[in-house]
Amino acid sequence: MINRYPDILRQVLKPARYTGNELNSVIKDPSQVKVNFALAMPDVYEVGMSNLGLKILYEALNRQPDIAAERVYAPWVDMEAAMRERKIPLFALESSRPIKELDLLGFTLQYELSYTNILNMLDLSGIPLLTSDRDLSHPFVVAGGPCAYNPEPMAEFLDFLILGEAEETIVEVSQAVAAWKEAGRPDGRQGLLKMAALIPSVYVPSFYRVTYKTDGTVQQVTPTCPEASPVIYKRIIEDLDQVAFPTKPVLPYLEIVHDRIMLELFRGCTRGCRFCQAGIIYRPVRERRLETLLKQAQELVDHTGYNEMSLVSLSSADYSRLRELVSALSERYKDQHVSVSLPSLRIDSFCIQLAQELQKVRKSGLTFAPEAGTQRLRDVINKGVTEQNLEDAVGAAFRAGWSAVKLYFMIGLPTETDEDIQGIAELAYSVKKLYMQITGRRDIKITISVASFVPKPHTPFQWYGQISLAEMERRQKLLRSSIRDRSITLNWHDAPVSMIEGVFSRGDRRLGNVILTAWRNGAKFDGWSEHYKHDVWEQAFREVGLDPAFYASRNRELNEVLPWDHLSAGEDKDFLIREYHCALSAECTPDCRRGSCSACGVCPTLGTKIVDWGNAEHE
Amino acid sequence: MSKLRLKITKGEELRFISHLDYVRAITRAVRRAKLPAAYSEGFNPHMKVAFASALAVGVTSDAEYMDLDMEEQIEPSEVIARLNAVLPPGIQVREAGYVDERAAALMAVVDQTDYQIMIPVTGAFSVADAQMSLTRFAEMEKVVYVRHSPKGKRFIDLKQYIAHPLEMENTPQTVQLSLSIKMTSGGSVKPSEILDVLVSDFGFPVQSQTALIHRTALWAAADGKQVSPLALEQP
Repeated sequence: MINRYPDILRQVLKPARYTGNELNSVIKDPSQVKVNFALAMPDVYEVGMSNLGLKILYEALNRQPDIAAERVYAPWVDMEAAMRERKIPLFALESSRPIKELDLLGFTLQYELSYTNILNMLDLSGIPLLTSDRDLSHPFVVAGGPCAYNPEPMAEFLDFLILGEAEETIVEVSQAVAAWKEAGRPDGRQGLLKMAALIPSVYVPSFYRVTYKTDGTVQQVTPTCPEASPVIYKRIIEDLDQVAFPTKPVLPYLEIVHDRIMLELFRGCTRGCRFCQAGIIYRPVRERRLETLLKQAQELVDHTGYNEMSLVSLSSADYSRLRELVSALSERYKDQHVSVSLPSLRIDSFCIQLAQELQKVRKSGLTFAPEAGTQRLRDVINKGVTEQNLEDAVGAAFRAGWSAVKLYFMIGLPTETDEDIQGIAELAYSVKKLYMQITGRRDIKITISVASFVPKPHTPFQWYGQISLAEMERRQKLLRSSIRDRSITLNWHDAPVSMIEGVFSRGDRRLGNVILTAWRNGAKFDGWSEHYKHDVWEQAFREVGLDPAFYASRNRELNEVLPWDHLSAGEDKDFLIREYHCALSAECTPDCRRGSCSACGVCPTLGTKIVDWGNAEHE
Repeated sequence: MSKLRLKITKGEELRFISHLDYVRAITRAVRRAKLPAAYSEGFNPHMKVAFASALAVGVTSDAEYMDLDMEEQIEPSEVIARLNAVLPPGIQVREAGYVDERAAALMAVVDQTDYQIMIPVTGAFSVADAQMSLTRFAEMEKVVYVRHSPKGKRFIDLKQYIAHPLEMENTPQTVQLSLSIKMTSGGSVKPSEILDVLVSDFGFPVQSQTALIHRTALWAAADGKQVSPLALEQP
C-alpha cells in the first residue's frame, strides 16, 4: 500500500489508518495458512483498534498456526473517494490483499448506526451486498457482537452470525471452512452454511423463514432445514483464567480512542438495570483470578510500553478483589510511570477512596451515572442508587479535592413524567449546593449528559414504545429551561439519531431494504453527527413503505412474537416479563451476584454459574 | 542525570506516520526496553526526550536525532541493542553517545539537512528538460513560494534556504534529486515545497505527488565545519 499509492496517502487525513506495519501485528506465510479471516469494524481505524473484542478474536485466531486473521476498518470519506476513483478494492491491513480474496469477513456489530458502513465496506470490497448474490469466489460475511442478538434488519446481508463470546466458536467456524475447502467445497456455499449451522451459537438467517400478520407483526419464524435449530443460544467462556487473552496487542501509531492497556477483570454484570442490554447478554458474572490479572498486566506492560492501564469490565468497581488488585498494581508500576484507572465508578464512597488512590495528584473529573432524576424513576429502572448514595459519593469526592463532576442521565425512560425531568435539574443543583457547603467555593463544574432512551431487545423494556421525536425534543427543551446556571453544562444526544437507533434495535427483516435504500442515497458514518443525514433516512422509509414509528414507538403486546425470539442469551422471557411488571410498580430486584437469585434463567439454560472470587473484604 | 544522543531511522513502513506518532513509538520502546529514562515532575510525568527537527508525514529518514535524559548511564552499545530488540519495524538506532548534560538543545544546533527525492518517471520525461529546469532554478536570485496555513498566507524565498545546488541522477524508471536545505532560527523549507515550485514554476517534468522523500543527513556546525550532532560536545 505504502509505495503503491504515495500520492493518495499524501492527500488523505491520517494516512497511518491505512498503512499497517504496527508492532505486534501478525503477518503469516500464506503457504502455511488454510483459512484467511478479515476482522472488521464498520468504523474508522481509531474506533476499530479500540475494541477489546476484536483484539481478543485476533489473538484467538492467530494462535492457530493454519489460520491468519487480519484487520480492516472503514476508510474515512476522503480515502473512500480516492479508492473509488482509482478502483482500489478494500484491502486488509496486514497483507494489503483485497478483502475479496479472503475466506471470511467478520464484522463486529457494536451499534445500529454502523449498518450502512457495513454495506459500504462490502461494496468497496466488490462483494455482493445480498447473501443470495454471492458465489464461491466471495468470502463468507459473518458478524457478532451485541447487535447480533437482533440482527434481523441485517439478515439479508450476513451469511451467518455468532452469538455470545466467540473465541471458541470463531476457531471452530474457521476450521469448518478449512475442511469444506479441502473437501472441494461440497454443495457450494450452502454446504458450508449447513456445517456452520451445526456449530452451537451460529445463526444462519437464510435458514429461517419469517411470516408476518396483517397488522405487520411477526407471525412465525420457522427453520427451513434440519441443520437450523429453532432457538440459537449464545456461548460463553466459563473459565476466563483458561482462555487466551491478547497480552501482545497490536500497538497503533495513531492515537486511538482507547489508547491504553485494557485489563479485563470480568465479564457480565448482575446489577440488573432494566434498560441495559449488556446486563442480560453478558450474564453470568465470571471473574478472572487476581493472580491471572497480575500476570496479564505484567505481560501487557512488557509488550506495549503503554503508560496507562484501564481496568475494564461492565462495572469494574464490582470486582471482588479490587482493593488488592489496585494496591498491587499501583505498588508494582508506580516507578515505571504506568498509571492505573477505573473507567466506570459506582456511586459510593468506596469508589471515591479508590479513585483517590489511583489519581494521587491530578483531580481531573469524576463521572457518575444516576441515569434518572428521581428516586421513583431510578427504582423503575432498578438502578440501585439513592440520593443519599450520590450525596455521599460526590461529597467524598469534593472533600478529596475534585471540583468537576460529570453526570449521565437518560430521558424517555418508561413512566417518565415532567417531574422526573425536573428532578435531573434539581439533582444538579443539589450537587452544586453540596460543593459550596463543603468547600465554601463556587468554582465547580457540573456536566450533565443526557441520552434519549432506546429500548433494546432482551431487556425488560423490550416491549416498551420509545417516545416520539417531538416528545424527545419537548423533554429536552423542558430540561434546558430548568437549568439556568453557568456552572452547569448540558450535553445532548441528537433525538433523530436515537429514534433511528430505536427502529433498528428492535427491527425485523423488512428493514433491510430501508438500510439498502438509505445507503444507496448516501447514508454512511451515521454515528458521526457531521455525516448523519436524517432526510435520507426519512426518504428511505417512504420509498420502502415502512413506518419508523411502527418499530420505534409502538408498545408491543407481551405475547407478541418478537423478531429476535429465536435468538437467546439464555434468559427466560418470563423473567423479563416479571421485571417489566416490577418496573411499572417501581419495585427493585437485588443483584443476584451475592444476594438472592432472581431466576433470570441464564445459569441453568447455559449450564453454568457465577464465578466470584469475593472475600467480602471491602463490603 | 545523563544526556544520551541517538541517531535513529524512520523507515518505509512508517513513512506516513506523523512526527508525534513517531516520538510516541520511540518512547514506548524505551519503556519496553526498561531503560532508566528520566521523567518530568508534575501531575502527568512524561519522558524527557527532545528531537532535532520534526519530519513531515510522508518522509522517511536515515538520520533522526534525539536526546534522551537517563537517570543512570548505561553503555551506549547496550542501549542500542536493547532498543533495537523492541523497536517496531522501520525504526532502528544507528548510533548513540552521551553528550554534555548542559549541551545546547538539538533543535538549536542543527543547521542543515540533506534529502533525496525519488520520483518515478512518466513517458514524457526528458533529461534535457529536467536539467534546463534545474539550471533556471539555480540561476534565479529569488524564488518565492506561497505557503498556505490556517493562519494565512506566507511568502517565502526558497533560495535563501538552499545550501548547495540541486543534483540530479536518473535511471529509465526514476529520477533522483539530492538537495541540502538550511535550517535557521527563522525557519526552513520543506523538500516537498521546493519540488512543488520546481514542477509548477520551472517545468520540472515529473508529477510531484508521486515523489518519495528521504532524509539522508542532518548536520550541525562546529568550528565552521559540518559535523554530525553526535560529534558535538562529548562530555
